[in-house]
Amino acid sequence: MLEKLKEMLADQLKMDVDTIDPEKNLKDDLGVDSLDLFEFVMACEEEFDVEIDTEEVSNFTNLKEVAEYLEKIKG
Amino acid sequence: MQTEVTELLNIKYPIFQGGMANIAEHNLVAAVSNAGGLGILAAGGLNADQVREEIKKTKELTDKPFGVNVMLLNPAAPEIAKVLVEEKVPVVTTGAGTPEPYMKAWLEADIKVIPVVASVALAKRMQRCGAAAVIAEGCESGGHIGESTTMTLVPQVVDAVDIPVIAAGGVADGRGFAAALMLGAKAVQIGTRFLVASECIVHENYKQLVIKARDIDSVVTSRSTGHPVRVLRNAMTREYLKMEKEGKGFEELEHLTLGSLRKAVFDGNIKEGSFMAGQIAGLVHEEQSAKEIIEDIMQDTEQVLKKFCN
Repeated sequence: MLEKLKEMLADQLKMDVDTIDPEKNLKDDLGVDSLDLFEFVMACEEEFDVEIDTEEVSNFTNLKEVAEYLEKIKG
Repeated sequence: MQTEVTELLNIKYPIFQGGMANIAEHNLVAAVSNAGGLGILAAGGLNADQVREEIKKTKELTDKPFGVNVMLLNPAAPEIAKVLVEEKVPVVTTGAGTPEPYMKAWLEADIKVIPVVASVALAKRMQRCGAAAVIAEGCESGGHIGESTTMTLVPQVVDAVDIPVIAAGGVADGRGFAAALMLGAKAVQIGTRFLVASECIVHENYKQLVIKARDIDSVVTSRSTGHPVRVLRNAMTREYLKMEKEGKGFEELEHLTLGSLRKAVFDGNIKEGSFMAGQIAGLVHEEQSAKEIIEDIMQDTEQVLKKFCN
């Protein structure tokens, strides 16, 4: 899951996948703004066939948390 | 002119007046709605009781449909959301985020929810959660802005969703309106031109700044904080941009703009105020009533379209 998310985010941000540290802060370290974040969330919903609660979106600080959340809701 | 939006909202003209925080209060809103457009009250900067009061005053002045704009970042948003249901407001527009937490209650109350979006992904998400339409707002707008222009955002949002799209940002006359229709929009939202409406309560200095503004007189501040804002240039914006260039932090920058919108709107403080206005301010030349503005734009639009078709 985490590897796939890293690939997806790297692809969206046009960054090298190795530079995506899942524990780094999405906004402060990776420069993900609110529009990027919704873009990414929509891509995740499509990829994993889930619906992500908006209130969760604002809680995500790093990619690891996104992965944990997705694993939880996918069961 | 009838479009999907006039039918959806039961209004005469497909023109929304932007819900400008601290500015769009009951006098302007009722004047726009009475003139056949959709007046939109700004809940930004108000608490829930003040919003209720504004809604009541608007209802006293008009029996036509009107809307309320909710800034979702406002800490009072959850309370305001309840007031909108209790007061049976016909239309709610939202900005600065997604209204999903409130959608269920609003839709059950038969409120038409029309979020402002700055990207295709957000527009699709809004359609999925039950929005009646979306306002695609380009960065020509005054106030808080996104990255895309109206010219690029509107057609991409139109292609991505099945609900009607309202174009906002850069429209102040019939040419802009006709262009928005060509891009696929079914209505326009206008802020800057209504700033100088005779019913608009902003300080006379604010109106004069807009009327005298040239094409190059707006700038974008606060890009460094991630919340860019378009305002008319003055001493405050020069200082702000200088501080941003020097890499000053959020708190120092925030200190400079604290209360600056109120200084502009209520005090007309030319040096320290935050005079939010769109890039189209250069095209706004005179104060008129809301009715004159709307009828002028509609006539102009029809002439432009007619000339084009011939």
